[in-house]
Amino acid sequence: MAGRSPWYLAYRRLRRNRVALGFSGLFVAIVVFVGAAPLWANHVAGTGPNATHTTEKVEVDGESREVVNREGRPIGPLWLGAGGKFFLGADGRLGRDEMVRLMYGGRISLFVGFLSTLIAIVLATTLGLLAGYYRGWADTVISRSLDVIWAFPVTLLAIALGLALATGGLQVGPLDLSSNSLWIPILIIAFVYTPYMARPIRGEVLALREKEFVEAAVSQGAGPLRVMFGELLPNLGSTLIVFFTLGVAQNMLLESMLSFLGVGVQAPNTSWGTMIGEGFELISTAPLLTVIPGTMILLTVLAINIVGDGLRDALDPKSKVRIEARTGISESQGTAV
Amino acid sequence: MRKLQAALVVVALAMVALSLSSCGDSGGEEGGTLTGSYASFPDYLDPALSYTAEGWTAMYNTYLPLLTYKHADGEEGAEVVPALAESLPEVSKDGKTYSLTLRKGLKYSDGTPVKASDFPASIERLFKLNSPGSPFYIEIVGAEEFAETKKGGIPGIKTDDQTGEIEIELTAPSGTFTNELAMLFAALLPADTPAKSLTNDPPPATGPYEIVSSDPGQAWSYARNPQWAKANGDAIPEVPEGHVDKIEISVVRNSATQVNEIERDKTDWMQTLVPADLYNQVKDKYEGTQFRVERPINLYYFFMNTTQAPFDDVKVRQAVNYAVDTEALERIYAGTLTASHQILPEGMPGHEPFDLYPHDMAKAKAMLEEADPSDRDITVWTDDESPNNEAGAYFNDVLNKMGFNATLKTLGADNYFQTIGNANTPDVDAGWTNWFQDYPHPNNFFQPLLAGESIAPSFNTNVAETDVPELNAKIDRLREAQLGPEQEEEYAALDREYMELAPWVPYGANTTSTFVSSAIDLDEVIFNPTMGQDLTSFQFE
Repeated sequence: MAGRSPWYLAYRRLRRNRVALGFSGLFVAIVVFVGAAPLWANHVAGTGPNATHTTEKVEVDGESREVVNREGRPIGPLWLGAGGKFFLGADGRLGRDEMVRLMYGGRISLFVGFLSTLIAIVLATTLGLLAGYYRGWADTVISRSLDVIWAFPVTLLAIALGLALATGGLQVGPLDLSSNSLWIPILIIAFVYTPYMARPIRGEVLALREKEFVEAAVSQGAGPLRVMFGELLPNLGSTLIVFFTLGVAQNMLLESMLSFLGVGVQAPNTSWGTMIGEGFELISTAPLLTVIPGTMILLTVLAINIVGDGLRDALDPKSKVRIEARTGISESQGTAV
Repeated sequence: MRKLQAALVVVALAMVALSLSSCGDSGGEEGGTLTGSYASFPDYLDPALSYTAEGWTAMYNTYLPLLTYKHADGEEGAEVVPALAESLPEVSKDGKTYSLTLRKGLKYSDGTPVKASDFPASIERLFKLNSPGSPFYIEIVGAEEFAETKKGGIPGIKTDDQTGEIEIELTAPSGTFTNELAMLFAALLPADTPAKSLTNDPPPATGPYEIVSSDPGQAWSYARNPQWAKANGDAIPEVPEGHVDKIEISVVRNSATQVNEIERDKTDWMQTLVPADLYNQVKDKYEGTQFRVERPINLYYFFMNTTQAPFDDVKVRQAVNYAVDTEALERIYAGTLTASHQILPEGMPGHEPFDLYPHDMAKAKAMLEEADPSDRDITVWTDDESPNNEAGAYFNDVLNKMGFNATLKTLGADNYFQTIGNANTPDVDAGWTNWFQDYPHPNNFFQPLLAGESIAPSFNTNVAETDVPELNAKIDRLREAQLGPEQEEEYAALDREYMELAPWVPYGANTTSTFVSSAIDLDEVIFNPTMGQDLTSFQFE
């Protein structure tokens, strides 16, 4: 009987979770879709995400139609009627190509979601390791500081920070970010979610530092840094992966909300949240402008959440019972290959 | 039985008579609470500081100057009438001295008597606050010195609290000073009013309504000024007492929601223009019953900072004028905008239509290449109210199409003008702005917006920072004369001269709208061309 690593076992469990696999396929499709934005913009639509076409006309099946009519109403979806131009219609009175904006907007939504989660994970892991390993005054200072942030409702705190930074940007020491920098929503989201990740990581570190492998490392002369980052961190791997995937979904939702309210991603950048905000003004005459980016957020967040759930089930041994109930595969079946 | 019938008839007749008498002249209902909505909180609820149409509409009936604009629509509403003063000013033969007399027995809403000496104190407060309205009064003798020192009073204003006489001496004759006395900036406040923004706790009123609560950013409300019925109302017949007892205004950021609330009769009035995508739908459905198009005299334009590269080059500014397509902007404003490409809007004396820069993007690009500015990085500013934000995005895109590297910066409408008008705000290169007439005189589109003396460190209205000595002198000279056909011709020529220098890209005049719930009698609602909707005219049917 060959020995199997925990990662291999997790992979096998994940492979048998068809729902998670299906949604990971959907997620990959979304990433490919937004990744193809420049190709679509340059070779099909022939326009960028911010290029206006207010007074232009487009040929649809041999008929010339205004992109925006004199009453300011944008053209609806043309699908392939104009060779892919204005596939989803124009975005409003500026006559920008909705499909191009959707693809570029998705890139920013995903970018903000991933990067803010990555920053939050790095911060949370560092703080959690320091607090959990050193305990004592370090733990007190870090935990109480995180409690202060935690004391504010996360959404309100993010809106307040967004409002404050949307006008003047952020200038702290050498850091100088203009108000429409993408880094502002990224940093805000990372900041407000760090405590929510740092606390459970600290708890896990507190438990892990009492394990024998830590004692063994210390007895062999390993210093605190080596123990924290060489021994404890690898053992947090499965937790961090699950946190990351679920965090991306959560952060994308927060970004969408902030952008919808006008305090997240700022023009000329666009995200699915800003597209919903812009489309909302035309909801009575052009509801698709709100529904389409909303659906993209729904599908992406759903896909990431289900993949995240699948990863948790696969990586967390405590979820064994759930996996068995769902897949009908027992641990012994999984290992006895 | 007959007696009983007769008694019933008498009672019925009496009730009919009573109900008719309580309805007033227009047959509507007196009293009640008017609810309204704004898309953003006014810049200030302090008459010395507010310089927006939103703020003036909000305070037209609370803070009265010595003179005011007639409570009427259209041209009639442009007429200056006495408010706290007994009559229009007597002007000396040399045009430099204005004499007025305060009406007797006036009181502020807190019961404090209104005194003639409150007038110089209110003007001095403008200078202490560096109010955007202070330049209008700089020609008063001694005002310039007071603006610098903030001490010692303004010797050009003499008052007598016993007789109520007020005498104002100017350094030069002025053809606009009567209008300037009717501006909200010159509203009288108690002499001890602190020199700070009182938006959180608005000062006592002299008009028929007082502001009783203010929650900046959210809401404010009015009640009847208790002193109006006791003292001021009878003394000032030019200002109506109003029909409703209370007015509650809330800020509803989404104008589609504002429309929806009016359609459901949850709000009685929206100050904001009906949003572009609903405009035609609302107009078709409610015009004449609940909706009316209003035509205030205004100008919407993009400014370019003429003191900094690349817009310090007139060729570059002219190129931008060729690049902007006013037809595109008409569509962005969904048919509410009447395009024009000059400074004086239609309806303003001196307006003679012309367009020096018909849309030609190829020519614009060629001119830009010829000018070849060293700096092509531009920050384009706009506010977040639709469709102004879209106009800003359009301008940003036009600049990028020309070959600039433009970045759009969108600010909340609540503090947009304060931000772009502050000298400490970095990178105010170009952007969207608009101007609604302060008074029906062409000078009002040149002096505060283009004259060098109007460039100020804060509340700057000359955001293009235009300062052309010979044109400044011409503005000053024209200002001294009373408006007549000759002056109108000169203003028309001045319009062309400025457009040749192209500090702006004017793109048209926007209409606004009055949209009320089915409970309000639309026919009674007055839209004053300077002050906007007159809150004293709202009446429940």
